[in-house]
Amino acid sequence: MSENNTALKKRSDFKKYLQFFWRSWAIQASWNYERQMNMGFLYGIAPTLDELYPNENDPEQLAHKKEAYERHMAFYNCTPQTSAFVLGLAASMEEQYAADREHFNPETINAVKTSLMGPLSGVGDSFFQGTVKIIAFGLGISLAQQGSILGPILAILISLIPSWFVTWFGGKLGYTMGSKYLTKLQSGNLMDQLMYVCGVVGLMVIGAMVASMVGIVTPIAFESSGLVMQDIVDGILPQAISLVVTLGMFTLIRKRVSTGWLLALCIFGGVAINALGILA
Amino acid sequence: MLGTSVILALVGVFCIMDSRLLGRLNLERPLITCTLVGLLLGDLPTGLTVGASLELMSLGLVNIGAAAPPDMNMAAIITAAFAIMTDATTETALALAVPIALLGQAIGVLGRIFLANLTHVADNAISQGKFKRAVQMHIVWGTLIYALLYFVPIFLAIYAGTDAVQAIVNMIPGWLTEGLNLGTKFLTAYGIALLMSTMMNKDLTVYFFLGFFLVGYLGLNITAIAIFACIAAVILSGLKFKSSGMAAAGGADALDDYDPLEDDDL
Repeated sequence: MSENNTALKKRSDFKKYLQFFWRSWAIQASWNYERQMNMGFLYGIAPTLDELYPNENDPEQLAHKKEAYERHMAFYNCTPQTSAFVLGLAASMEEQYAADREHFNPETINAVKTSLMGPLSGVGDSFFQGTVKIIAFGLGISLAQQGSILGPILAILISLIPSWFVTWFGGKLGYTMGSKYLTKLQSGNLMDQLMYVCGVVGLMVIGAMVASMVGIVTPIAFESSGLVMQDIVDGILPQAISLVVTLGMFTLIRKRVSTGWLLALCIFGGVAINALGILA
Repeated sequence: MLGTSVILALVGVFCIMDSRLLGRLNLERPLITCTLVGLLLGDLPTGLTVGASLELMSLGLVNIGAAAPPDMNMAAIITAAFAIMTDATTETALALAVPIALLGQAIGVLGRIFLANLTHVADNAISQGKFKRAVQMHIVWGTLIYALLYFVPIFLAIYAGTDAVQAIVNMIPGWLTEGLNLGTKFLTAYGIALLMSTMMNKDLTVYFFLGFFLVGYLGLNITAIAIFACIAAVILSGLKFKSSGMAAAGGADALDDYDPLEDDDL
C-alpha cells in the first residue's frame, strides 16, 4: 500500500514498527499546557515525513514537508500505548497522501487522529492506569508489606508486559490495516466490552484492598462489662470500619470536595479522632 | 550529603523519565522508587514499607489528560529518604508526603505551562524549514526540562531539608505520632476511594462489594481475588455481550441483535 516513488531510501517495515513503538512511549517528553502531546506526535511521525519528502532543495517538496510538519503540530492527547495505533495509522495515511495528492484530502488525517483520541484514551487509561496498575500494585503492595522485594519486581513485570504488547502490535495494526480496523472498533461494542472487563476486575481488586490494606480499628471498650467494640464489629463483618470510612471518602469525592480539603481532613481528622479515642 | 542528594535527585530523573520516555511503565510509582531509595541508602525494609504505604495512598491519583494530581511520585522519593536518613517514624514521614506532593503539583503545573513555549519555538522552526530543530524541541529540550523539574526540587529538599526535618521530628510528641498513624490510614482509604471514583458505576458496584466480602469473610488474599476476578470478568462479559469468542474475534454484526443481559446503559 505504500508503493510510491517519492522516497529514495526506504526504511524496512520492522524499523518503522520499532519507531512507532519507541516514539509512542516517548510521546510525553514535552507534554505542555497548550497542545499537550503535539510535539510528541510530530516526533513520532517525523521519520515518515522525512522519508516521504527527502529533497529539501526542491521547493515543492519543501512546501509539502512544511505543510505536513505543521499538520502534526496540532493538539493531541492519548494514552501512550494506544497512541502507537494512531501513529501507525497516520503514517500509512501520510504515505497514501504523498502517493496520491489529488484524491486524498489531508484533513482526514487530523480528523482521524482527533476522532481516535477520545475512545483510545478512554479504553487505554482505564486499562493501563486502572486495571493493570491495580492488579500490579495490589499484588506488589501485599508482598512488599511482608518485606519482600518480589513485590516491586512483580509490579514492574505485570505493568511491562501488557504495555509492550499493546504498543508493539498497536503500531503494527494501525500501519497495516488501520482503516479496516477502525470501522470494526467503532461499529462493534468491543470498546464497551473491554471497559466492562476492566471495570469488573478493577473493582473486585479494589474491594479486596479495602478489606486487607486499610486496617482502621476502634479502641473503644467498656471495662465494666468487658465489652470490646472491635470484637463485636469483627463478629458481624470484619473490616467494617475500613469499609465505612472508604465509602465516606468516596461520597465526599463524588460531592466534589477538593483534594486539598480532603487531604487536610485525613491528617487533622486522623489526629483529632485518635486523640478522642474513637478510632485507631 | 552532597553525594546522597545527587543520587536521590537522579532517582527522581529516573522516575519522571518513566512517563516521559517509556510510556508510563509504572516505574515512577512510589512502590518502585521507594524500594530503589531503600536499596541505595542501604535500608531496604524501610524503603518497602514507605513505598507500600505511599502506593496505597496514591494509587487513585491518575494522570489522565490535563488533570495534574498532587505529585506523590516526587514526594515518595523525598519521603522515603527522610524516613531512612532521619529518626522520623514511617507515619511521620508519610504525613510529610502530603505537603511535599502539593508543592510538587505546583512545580509540575508551572513547568508544563513553561513547556508550551517549546511548541512556539517548534512552530517557528518549521516555518523556517528547520525540521530537525522542531523535533529536537520535543526529544531533547522537553526531556531535559522535565528532568530538571524533578532533579532540582529533590536535590534541594534532601540537601537543605534533612536537618530541618530532623529538628521537627525531635519535637513531635507521642500523641501526634499515634494520630498521624490514623491519619495515614485515612489517607489510604482516601486513595482507594479515589480509585473507586474513576471506575464505579451502578452496574459495577456489586463487584466492589464482592471483592470486599471475599476477603472480609473468607480471608482470601489479593492474588486469589485478582485471579478469580479475571475469570469472573471473562465469563460475565461473555454472558453480557453474548458470545465472548465471537466478540473477541471482532464479530461486530452478531452483537447488534438480541442481548439477554442488555441494560439501559448501553
